[in-house]
Amino acid sequence: MDILQGEIFRYYDHFVIPFNIGVWVLLAVIVYKYVRWFSRLAPADKSAVGRGLLSRRVFGAMGEVVSESLLHRRIFRVDPLLGYMHMSLALGWFLLIAVGWVEASIHLTEGFAPLHAHVFYKYFAPAPTGATAEKVISNLMDLLLLFVLSGVALAWFKRLRSRALGMKRTTKHVLGDKIALSALWLIFPVRLLAESAQAGLKGIPSFLTGNLGGWMVSAFGEGFVAGFSVVAWWVYSIVLGVFFVSMPFSRYMHIFTEIPLIFLRRFGLRSGEQSSAFDHFQIESCSRCGVCIDPCQLQADAGIDNVQSVYFLRDRRYHNLSGEVASNCLMCGRCEVRCPVGIELNTLRLNSREKFSALPADDRYAYMAGSDRSSGSGRVGYFAGCMTLLTPKILRSMERIFDAAGEQVWWADREGGVCCGRPLKLSGEIEAARRLMDHNSQLFSNHRITTLVTSCPICLKVFREDYDLGSVEVLHHSEYILRLIRQGRLELGRQDAVYTYHDPCELGRGSGIYEQPRDVIRCAGRLVEASENRSDARCCGASLANLEIGEAAQQRIAASLSAHYKATGADTLVTSCPLCKKTIVRSFGDVRDISEVVAGALV
Amino acid sequence: MTGKVIIIGGGVAGLQAAATLRELGLTPVIVEKTTHIGGKLNDWHKLFPSLTPAAEVLAELKGRLDGAEILTGTEAVEIAPGSVTLTDGRRMEADAVIVASGFEVFPAELKEEYGYGLYRNVYTTVDIERMFNEGRVRLRDGSAPRRIAFLHCVGSRDEKVDQCHCSRVCCITGVKQAMEMKALFPEAEVYNFYMDIRMFGPGYEEMYREAQERCNIHFIRGRISEAGETQDRRVQIKAEDTLIGRPLKMTVDMLVLIVGMKAGRSNEALARCPGISLRPSRFADPADSFCGNVCSGAPGIFYAGTVTAPKNVGESINEGAAAAVKAAEYIRSKG
Amino acid sequence: MAIDRSINWGYSISRPRAVDMDANDHEAAARLLRKLPELQACIACGCCVATCTAGNLTDFNFRRVHTLVRRGEYKGAYDELNKCMLCGKCRLVCPRGINTRAVVMAVKRILGEY
Repeated sequence: MDILQGEIFRYYDHFVIPFNIGVWVLLAVIVYKYVRWFSRLAPADKSAVGRGLLSRRVFGAMGEVVSESLLHRRIFRVDPLLGYMHMSLALGWFLLIAVGWVEASIHLTEGFAPLHAHVFYKYFAPAPTGATAEKVISNLMDLLLLFVLSGVALAWFKRLRSRALGMKRTTKHVLGDKIALSALWLIFPVRLLAESAQAGLKGIPSFLTGNLGGWMVSAFGEGFVAGFSVVAWWVYSIVLGVFFVSMPFSRYMHIFTEIPLIFLRRFGLRSGEQSSAFDHFQIESCSRCGVCIDPCQLQADAGIDNVQSVYFLRDRRYHNLSGEVASNCLMCGRCEVRCPVGIELNTLRLNSREKFSALPADDRYAYMAGSDRSSGSGRVGYFAGCMTLLTPKILRSMERIFDAAGEQVWWADREGGVCCGRPLKLSGEIEAARRLMDHNSQLFSNHRITTLVTSCPICLKVFREDYDLGSVEVLHHSEYILRLIRQGRLELGRQDAVYTYHDPCELGRGSGIYEQPRDVIRCAGRLVEASENRSDARCCGASLANLEIGEAAQQRIAASLSAHYKATGADTLVTSCPLCKKTIVRSFGDVRDISEVVAGALV
Repeated sequence: MTGKVIIIGGGVAGLQAAATLRELGLTPVIVEKTTHIGGKLNDWHKLFPSLTPAAEVLAELKGRLDGAEILTGTEAVEIAPGSVTLTDGRRMEADAVIVASGFEVFPAELKEEYGYGLYRNVYTTVDIERMFNEGRVRLRDGSAPRRIAFLHCVGSRDEKVDQCHCSRVCCITGVKQAMEMKALFPEAEVYNFYMDIRMFGPGYEEMYREAQERCNIHFIRGRISEAGETQDRRVQIKAEDTLIGRPLKMTVDMLVLIVGMKAGRSNEALARCPGISLRPSRFADPADSFCGNVCSGAPGIFYAGTVTAPKNVGESINEGAAAAVKAAEYIRSKG
Repeated sequence: MAIDRSINWGYSISRPRAVDMDANDHEAAARLLRKLPELQACIACGCCVATCTAGNLTDFNFRRVHTLVRRGEYKGAYDELNKCMLCGKCRLVCPRGINTRAVVMAVKRILGEY
């Protein structure tokens, strides 16, 4: 019995129980989640994982895990102080565990040392020998603890003054997150007290815990500090246990989800228009850091504060996503470009809408069959798009540009046509959208065009991403016009006008077309940039992706955008989307499509 | 006491205010931003519902001025109780100020879908009055129109151009011009596309009925959503005939946009004066809608005419007189 | 929801032509208007119908459908609204600033069962 006790309970005290419960619950839940998610992956995704694991991409993923999960490189780009805060907590704690493990393995040499003996090493540590290595390692551990504590202090400070860390607004947390957060914030200060008391009692020298412990003993007496240390170790173990149990159910699940996500992403897995098991990896990777809140114009200009990506992912994860939250998003993509975890926020938002959409009847859109109101003939097809039909200046300008370039054009929808399908897709009616796409694809193929030009970025995106148009080249009119200019088929006279340019969401972030419109504008006049441009450009507010906000909110967003562009001092705001144009003109004044600028500058 | 009253705006309301002030023995000074007085009446041909020539009304108003001082080509950039600052920086003292700065015609280009300024044969009611005054109403190619469509509520009751108010006079203007066009081109078909017909004034409803019965003008209940131009420069319009419940397409030689009233740009400068407030429509908000119609929230500043809301010519003239009386009362009460 | 009390006689009588505001069930309409109160502001100008992409190709009248729904006439509304392509032109021309696309989706969601 004594031997047994000596072996198993050598490194044991009752206070380790809460910690052990926490660890094992955590492990069990994570294993359960991993098994569930991996087993439900689509067969194609599973084989991609299989191939990926045997490829060199594993090393790339490992590198990314270090740079993102530990160093939080992408958060540094949002704000250096915010990046430091996240890094100190993640890297600091990781190193505490790793170095602590080494420290414990060196000194706990008598028999089996269970996990808690490593975690509560100071408690179980043998009397100090005074060796240099021992001193170095205990000072190193103190340094790491200080590193983490600086992060905790910043986290506290962020609650009071988030702006100092580059965030105007922070996440409003649910109760579970608040519990986990409180436990996390307590862990390190309590650890400092417990370890210091122990170091004081045992006389382990080090610059932080050693000195603090020494002072405690001299100030309060050994008896008091001994009693205090018992309480401190208990509290430390309890907060660790509480934190571990809450981890898989709270925002902190991201720690265990982001790592497999990084690997899966490197193996080529992506979320799609229909929800899939892979979505879980993205959804639970959200740490609810709240970086997505500030760029959201619904928050900044319309005062809507419960739909941002952080809240959307949270609601979706806990299965209480409402149709209103799913639909109330401009899908402008400003948050996606800033998300430090690189979650496909637009795709996840989109594929969550499907379950709220209606099932299409079999004969839905049967009326489209055979409809063809196109006119003219030529290898180049022009698809105006529904919105362009309400901005005749764009149509007229395109006419003049085609004429000037001597292009023979087939006009797909000047007299009315079938919508491109993207608006339906954005509303979650994917099956219905497919029917519109099929109709238009057939139309294009019937007329044997080789190039398809559109002046609507919404149409452009769906033509490029969802249509199967074979060898037909799809161009936005800004790309097409630039090509004509470079081929010498259009001659523009430069004017004195000063222009600024608005990147439409679907064209810029959506299709990666930033430079072509700018190059075109520079052929016609001087271009001045607004401070938020290209991938950081704002949305006009009228996005078809949003089914919730009313006219007033749209106009508040547009007015704030107009003020932003007016600050450039430009006379004219140029854009390349009929919907943006119509929306911004009310608050800006002189807003022109890029085709109007070109048609006006033709020599 | 000099009894000096500055009147901002030399349109019908301002002219009547000056006339009444002269009658009351005070000294009005009209500040007019254009080169000549008379305001928009200079651009109108005949006035509804009596078809009185605008020039006649203007001549009568000018005849009553009794030597009132007139400053043209200058604008008030700042208005305060007891003083007005002009464009050239000159500051004029006065015992009272009457703001009669009027309205602006809604710029039809803002409704891009109607193609004003883009298609050759899309006009506004202002263009039509001008053509009447010039004595020659023709399409751009010089021919006579055979089919004419009028569109009501362009720049009125339209949230999409931040003009949520009703401009009131456009309904009757559209009816009047339709009748005049029919008189000029008896063979032409004339259509009026409307959302509601609001015939608020005396003789208006009768005129509407006359347009329908005697002039055979067609009224279609539906707002045009967009217009296109055909190869031969005619205008193709789309609307819903809401009484039938079916979309309607039509090609016309001439599309006339019946443009509404927009609050004057100068109202923004006016609003900087303490006590002055504007309505959401950016027209000035009078002290109250009953007994204080021509009073502002600032002492010694009064309103006359369309600075506060869309009004017809007769109403604006009445307000000119009313504002003058209020200004005189104010000056007398100050001693 | 109104219970169908008619007896199947093996033949049918044509539906009464009047909109029977007493017999109609207004619950769904009330729900729709709670979500989108601005729909009451429709002045039936017809712009939405005139510009409608689908209405250009087939017999589909958005204004008529939502007006019928507001009167408690739900039959057929769901299938009619399935003709809509959600392109958004109607929203762009509506002088009353009605979120027409949201109306289409909301009516379909609310009337899904009719």
